[in-house]
Amino acid sequence: MEDHLSNLEKKSISIIREAKAQFKNMAVLWSTGKDSTATLWLCRKAFFGRIPFPVIHIDTSYKFPEIYEFRDRIAKEWNLDLAIAKNEEALKNGVSPEKGKLDCCTKLKTEALKSIIKKEGFDALILAIRRDEHGIRAKERYFSPRDEEFRWRYADQPAELWDLYVRPAEDFSHMRVHPILHWTEFDVWQYVRRENLPMNPLYLAKNGMRYRSLGCMPCTVPIPSNASNIDEITEELRTTTTPERAGRAQDKERAYMMQKLRSLGYM
Amino acid sequence: MIILAMDALDHNLVERYNCKNLMQTEHGQTDISDFELPRTVVLWASFLTGKNMEAEIPVETQWEFKLAPDKTFLRFFGSCLAIDVPALSLKEKNHAEERKLLKKYFDDKASLEDYDSLVWRNHEENKKDFFGSLGRFDLVVAYFDLADAIGHLSFGLAEKMSSVYVELEGIAREVKSSATDLTLVISDHGMKPVGRFGDHSENGFYSLNREWKLKLPKMTDFYELIKQKV
Repeated sequence: MEDHLSNLEKKSISIIREAKAQFKNMAVLWSTGKDSTATLWLCRKAFFGRIPFPVIHIDTSYKFPEIYEFRDRIAKEWNLDLAIAKNEEALKNGVSPEKGKLDCCTKLKTEALKSIIKKEGFDALILAIRRDEHGIRAKERYFSPRDEEFRWRYADQPAELWDLYVRPAEDFSHMRVHPILHWTEFDVWQYVRRENLPMNPLYLAKNGMRYRSLGCMPCTVPIPSNASNIDEITEELRTTTTPERAGRAQDKERAYMMQKLRSLGYM
Repeated sequence: MIILAMDALDHNLVERYNCKNLMQTEHGQTDISDFELPRTVVLWASFLTGKNMEAEIPVETQWEFKLAPDKTFLRFFGSCLAIDVPALSLKEKNHAEERKLLKKYFDDKASLEDYDSLVWRNHEENKKDFFGSLGRFDLVVAYFDLADAIGHLSFGLAEKMSSVYVELEGIAREVKSSATDLTLVISDHGMKPVGRFGDHSENGFYSLNREWKLKLPKMTDFYELIKQKV
C-alpha cells in the first residue's frame, strides 16, 4: 500500500497534468514559501524535471532579503522561466504598508497580478493554497473560476465528484488551479523532509523565533519557537494550537475591517 | 403591532440555522440595492419614513441624526414605544460605549471579551425593556444590535454566531407564545465574512406572522404597507 504522502503527491500531479491539458496558457505563482516551493517541485515531477510554463513571483519590494536570495538561487538551479510581477507605478507613487496596509496589498499584490495576467493572457494559474489554512479556503475547489476582478462565487462552484474536474461552461477570466488543496501544513513539512526540498531559512528558529508563514517584512511577524530544523518543525506542529497564519492574515483582515467600519461610520 | 428590528439579521443564516420562529409565516430577503452603502442609521431611517435617507444623513454625524416621530409610520398608531431605534430613540450612551470599545479593540487596548460582554449587556437591557412593554402599546418597535455588533468582530466564528441566532430565535419564540399582534421581524442588512470578521451585506431579512405575499420588498416599502394594514 502506498503511503500517505505518495497518495497526496499522486493526486496533485494528476491535477497539474489535467490543468496543463485543459488550458493553453498556464502559469504557476511562487511566493518562495514552503507551499509554493513544494508545488513547484510537484510541477517539475509532473513534467519530468522541467516546468513547461512561466513561474510568476509577485514582487512588492517589501519582502525579506532572504526571499529574494532564495528566489534567484532556486530559479537558476531549477531552470525556471521566472516572470516577476511588480506594480512599478504604485511604488513610484509611494504606496507602502505605512500608508495603509489594505491599499498596499491591493496595489502591490492584486493589481500586479491582474496586470501580468492581462499582459500575458494567462487562462489558468496554479496556486499553492490549502484548505486547512483558513475557513474561507476550506470552501475552495481544485479548479476555481475567477472573473476579471478576481471575484470568486463560492456559493456557485462546479462540483468535483469522483475526481472529475469539469471546466464550467460560462465565461470566466481565468481558472485558479489548486493542486495541494487537500494537503495540511504538516503534510507539506513531511514532504519537504522526504523530498529533501530546499527551504527558505526564515522558517528555522533563530534566538527563539521563527517565521511560520512568509509575507512582506512590515506585515509579517515571527512566532516564538525553538524549531531549528525540519524534524523540530514537524514535532512542533503536532502540539501547537497557534493558527498557521496568526502572524499575517488577521493583520490584513483587521486593516480591511477597520477601513470598512470607518466608512460605515462606526469608528 | 410588534416590530423586532434586528440589526444585521442575515437571511441566509436564519435559514441555515433553521430559525423557525424568526421565519414566522412568511419570510424572505429585503432589497437594499438602492443604497450606495448599507449604513445602519440610513437604512433604519429609510424604513421608518419610506424614503431613501442616504443623502440626508452624513456618515460623520449619523449617530446624532434623529427623526421626529410624526415623520415616521409611528404617526399611524395611537400609542407607541420605540426602544433604542436608530434615527429615532437610540440609547446614545450604550452605542457610544460600544463604538468606543470597538475602536479600542482595533487599537489593541481592549479585548474581544470586553467588547462582547458590553454588547450582551446592552442587548439584555433592550430585551428587558421590550418584554416589559408588551401589551401596553399599539406599536412597539424594539431594536437589537446583537448580530451586528458581535458579527463585526466574530462573523467568521460559526459557534459564536450560532449562539447569537439562538438568542434572537428565543426572542421571536417568546413573542410568538405571548402575543397575537401583527409581528414584523426585519433587519437593515445582512452580513458576510471577512476572515473572522464580518462586513455588511445585502442579505437583509424580513418576516411576518401574516401572509402579505411580499416579493423582495425594499426597506422603503414598509412605510406604505404598514399604513395600509393598520
